[in-house]
Amino acid sequence: MEALTHLLHGFAAALSLNNLLFAFAGCMLGTLIGVLPGLGPAAGTAILIPLTFSLDATGAIIMLCAIYYGAMYGGTITSVLINVPGEAASVVTCIDGHQMARQGRAGSALGIAAIGSFVGGTLATVALVAVAMPLASLALKFGPAEFFALMVAGLCLVVGLAGSNMLAALLMTVIGLLLAMIGIDPVRGAPRFTFGAEELYDGIGFVPVVMGLFGIAELLLAAEKRQTHMISAELKTWLPTRQECRQSAGAIGRGTVVGFVLGLIPGVGAIVPTFMAYVLEKRVSKTPERFGKGAIEGVATAETANNAYANAAMVPLLALGIPSSPTIAVLMGAFIINGITPGPFLFTEQPALVWTVIASFFIGNLLLLILNLPLVGLWAKLLKVPFSYMCTGILIFCIIGAYGLKQSLFDVWMMLGFGILGYLLRKLDFPIAPAILALILGPMMEKSLRTTLEISGGSFAIFLDRPLALAMLVVPVIVIGVLIFKPRSLSPLRESDVE
Amino acid sequence: MRQGRLIATGAMLAFCLFALWQSLLLSLTDRLGPGPGFFPFWLALIGIVLAVALLITTAREPRDPSEGEIHILPHGPGALRWLAIVALLAAATVAMAVVGFRISMLVFNAALVIALGERRWWAIALFAVLGSFGVYYVFTTWLDVLLPTGWLEF
Repeated sequence: MEALTHLLHGFAAALSLNNLLFAFAGCMLGTLIGVLPGLGPAAGTAILIPLTFSLDATGAIIMLCAIYYGAMYGGTITSVLINVPGEAASVVTCIDGHQMARQGRAGSALGIAAIGSFVGGTLATVALVAVAMPLASLALKFGPAEFFALMVAGLCLVVGLAGSNMLAALLMTVIGLLLAMIGIDPVRGAPRFTFGAEELYDGIGFVPVVMGLFGIAELLLAAEKRQTHMISAELKTWLPTRQECRQSAGAIGRGTVVGFVLGLIPGVGAIVPTFMAYVLEKRVSKTPERFGKGAIEGVATAETANNAYANAAMVPLLALGIPSSPTIAVLMGAFIINGITPGPFLFTEQPALVWTVIASFFIGNLLLLILNLPLVGLWAKLLKVPFSYMCTGILIFCIIGAYGLKQSLFDVWMMLGFGILGYLLRKLDFPIAPAILALILGPMMEKSLRTTLEISGGSFAIFLDRPLALAMLVVPVIVIGVLIFKPRSLSPLRESDVE
Repeated sequence: MRQGRLIATGAMLAFCLFALWQSLLLSLTDRLGPGPGFFPFWLALIGIVLAVALLITTAREPRDPSEGEIHILPHGPGALRWLAIVALLAAATVAMAVVGFRISMLVFNAALVIALGERRWWAIALFAVLGSFGVYYVFTTWLDVLLPTGWLEF
């Protein structure tokens, strides 16, 4: 009941003209980012951070969240029309979506994707309202030991999904944590690893690093390949038929559940729920042979799971302060830039802000549905913008984003350096997500651990007296150990499952 | 690929060793508990163990027959586009400190779209002006974002 009252107040604030405009602009920009192949939600959200510098905290967060789920939907358009996923999570949509487009049913595919995204996103937000406050209340009972253990568990889960690349993921996590140590020591105030450079006293800027590792690296990879964007499918209608809606109803329901549940687990990337929802749908279908040949249920369940995941992934961020994916880590960075620390205290210290943002999720989902059905044709035209202009335009935003936060050209250099590093790491198949998450969690992890050890007089035995913290430390370590030494037959999800 | 991964892991090992040495220059503990060097010290130590383990695992991996076809560094016609982006971005960053955002971005925009294949002079000129003076106006006037003016204060 308390949550409902807060939510109603949140709606009152979110429906103000300014906040509606921010949500609208965010949805438009996010969809644009999602449409551009290769530029994922993490890079897109990071690149667009400078647009929010002059906004108040609530407006900035509303706009960035809208960019996030707009980007999650935008990837669908290219998946269906040209068989190129705008972002990783849309890979599964290509399978049946593009087949539908080739059969002249592109409008039905995009329509059901928009409807599924709306239903999945909205139901996941309803569940978020129900779950977030109790979870935050529970987390309020946590001491520094539990918070440290929780952050270790979050990072372990991210690493645990790196598959055969587990050692590399663990190493990248440590590198991210070490980079987070640069700057003023958060407990004693002594400079560390700064080598006398004043620019490093504030630490390594999160925005230039993310822009480099995601934005610049993506552009360098794209520049190496010749980009040719051709629309191969035309749009005739915008809406699915009544029969197609009936066929998709169950798929949308199942996609919502899969997306929401997996969204709650840190480290599960957006692609996993879409794959799992698709595999589930194929298994429960009476006609599984239609999958891969233009089955509308395949598009409906993948897109629903995708958006349900996107909204559910906000639960660990808002309630526990744990980012569950690189894009959520970028959003967490944006929260911190605006002077807000996500976590359980958010619900007690800044209830107006957090409930306004949650209410804006409902509004954003509705805006996406209203906007995207009639504007699909317009988004498709954007694919004809030549790479030379798209690349240069994105670079302008990157430069402004890296420079704008601290008015430092040093940060622009850092962005370029991390861009080249990101390009090489991607080519060498080193996972970047664990390093990004570690970079943002590093200072909080260190502070929690050191406070814990100060309380215990330097003894690690304190973790033995805190069963919850001990469990959160031991279980993920065992899981990672099992995953490192597991037999190959235990691999949970294979691409062949969706072929 | 395998060689590239070995070099990259070696570089990370060197980074962790350097971090370990630097953390030893800070106090690991003091009378209040763990000091500024405590967390980085343990992290660097864990990093060294992981890097060595990854080096051994990668070195023991069987060679992939298709390995020769994978280029770690940019190659072919794409390498020129890659270099153009990196070099022009670096040049623009240097120039911004001297001549400010507007002039450096005017040149950067024109040079990069040409390097990436555009040849219509009017389109290049329009894009360069909008992407420099236009963007500067929008960000400084409407969005209150300060952008570099350089030594020339322009």
